Amino acid sequence: MPNYDLEKLDDYRWRVPKQGRMQVPARLYATEEMLEDILSDDAPQQAINVAHMPGIVEASMAMPDIHWGYGFPIGGVAAFDADDGVISPGGVGYDINCGVRLLSSKLKKEDLDRRDTERLVDALFHRVPTGVGSSGALRVDHSTLPRVLKNGAEWAVNEGYGSDADLDVIEEGGQVDGADPDAVSARAKERGLPQLGTLGSGNHFLEVGYVSEIYDEEAARVMGLDEGSVTAIIHSGSRGFGYQVCDDALSDMDKAMNKYNIELPDRQLACTPIDSPEGQKYIRGMQCAINYAFANRQVMAHNTRLAFEDALDVTPREHGLRTVYEVAHNIAKFETHRVNGGEQEVCVHRKGATRALPAGHPLVPGRYQHVGQPVLIPGDMGRYSYVLVGTDAAMDETFGSTCHGAGRQMSRRRARKMAGNRNVTAELANEGIIVRGESSRTVREEISEAYKDVADVVAAVEGAGLSKKVAQLRPLGVIKG
Amino acid sequence: MTFPDPDSFREIDHTGDIGIQVTAPTLPRLFERAALGTFHVLTDLDAVQTPDATSIAVDGRDREALMVRWLSELNYRHTVDNVLYASFEVASIDNANDGLTLTATARGEPIDPNRHTVYTELKAITFHGLDVHKTDNGWAVQVIFDM
Repeated sequence: MPNYDLEKLDDYRWRVPKQGRMQVPARLYATEEMLEDILSDDAPQQAINVAHMPGIVEASMAMPDIHWGYGFPIGGVAAFDADDGVISPGGVGYDINCGVRLLSSKLKKEDLDRRDTERLVDALFHRVPTGVGSSGALRVDHSTLPRVLKNGAEWAVNEGYGSDADLDVIEEGGQVDGADPDAVSARAKERGLPQLGTLGSGNHFLEVGYVSEIYDEEAARVMGLDEGSVTAIIHSGSRGFGYQVCDDALSDMDKAMNKYNIELPDRQLACTPIDSPEGQKYIRGMQCAINYAFANRQVMAHNTRLAFEDALDVTPREHGLRTVYEVAHNIAKFETHRVNGGEQEVCVHRKGATRALPAGHPLVPGRYQHVGQPVLIPGDMGRYSYVLVGTDAAMDETFGSTCHGAGRQMSRRRARKMAGNRNVTAELANEGIIVRGESSRTVREEISEAYKDVADVVAAVEGAGLSKKVAQLRPLGVIKG
Repeated sequence: MTFPDPDSFREIDHTGDIGIQVTAPTLPRLFERAALGTFHVLTDLDAVQTPDATSIAVDGRDREALMVRWLSELNYRHTVDNVLYASFEVASIDNANDGLTLTATARGEPIDPNRHTVYTELKAITFHGLDVHKTDNGWAVQVIFDM
């Protein structure tokens, strides 16, 4: 295990002091029990590498679900000064605005018998294309795509997919300004045309579940999460469009780094100053991808409602599926934070990390003003997920950020090997969880054992004070890529 | 069709992602084998026939950038044109302007769901830990994919 000169600050905080060419220290949030696992791969070194980047403010941070990424670790948070800092596509990730939507319904777990759940999962599988290169839910043409890229979820609502009530409870209202379709390559657009409303493959999923436990009665009530309420979670991002925007920008920046005299320990950290032509082009393109992902999840949320209506023969009034909240966990945004006692505009990169605003923050939707921004932390398909809220401590320490999920603990190949000839779908069905996957290989790669226990991750952010638990959700049915 | 030499590339097993380690006696062969390794991660190469040939030209400021561009180009065409490739012939790697240019032919066929299984989606070919280097016997590289 590498020696990182790790200093223990308290039961949940660790620091690698600034040394060599680091601009700031690295700070890691984890319990002592989690640390051995975290230190067993190179993720802490990646957090240290990020601390070398020009204009980074306060610390390079790693959430308890940190794991090895490429360049930036997954679970990383880094803020750069808006004037002197850099923007880095690798600090956002290829799947720009990958995120999570949670919907709650009026239906109760008891309302769904096994046959209902099976019908529902089949209907979702029919309505929401999944898998490698999935397409076909909604194809837009070249004249429509720019409106999607500029207007995000609002475009989808205007086209009849969902309602304004959804927009109120999406991060950024489901649309960011600054998106410029002209900053995006023809290739990205080509990849974007057929993929709206599609889930994709890998760890993306759509899950129907129920509220299994409540920790904060008041917050849960405000969110419409009663014990036993049926829920739906959608985890997906900007699909091939976002991958291409990131790829194009990395290529541009890789060429341009010399020009700005930026030297970094890892080429995948490629970045340029925020106000450089390359930086500005990426930001405008990234904002298109952010909006694409908002529109994508909005279309899927609408099709989820239709699937409920088809499968259960209920009306919209009867299922009452409403959006609780939607978070982004691969994103860079300009935000104002308190740094060293003063207000500072920073560009916060969250790669596998979630914004977590406290009660009273102006960006928290009215409905949640007195409880805080809902934070959605999906777990693996066999166990549970969590709903949290942001806290003042997160604003003070982590630029209003917290964890984003369970994090893998096993490679895909090892997971396949462990799954062996097991019938994973039948095993889960025995536990009352109906799984439909486009590929059995993906289902085997996504077995519960491949992931860390998300409860440990959530306990660590709660212990550190970065978020507070509201409710636990358990799965009834899942569709996978 | 070309069958991959088992010694020429192998998959790297990593927690979050996947990659390949590739060796070859010459630089053009290294690029060819890296492409084979990439499509080996995507599909069963034995099931892919090679009736269709496509010309490809990419450039990069150095060998690493050239490798990323080459594999990204193939992944892009696979994704957008719905094709699988199983044979690669690099015709040249030349110095050009301020970098390198590669010209090649990739051979394969359209994806037929009845005969082909595409195992996974490669979001991207990353620069992470990428180092095209000389060895005693030729050339070697490690490439990490984002999945």
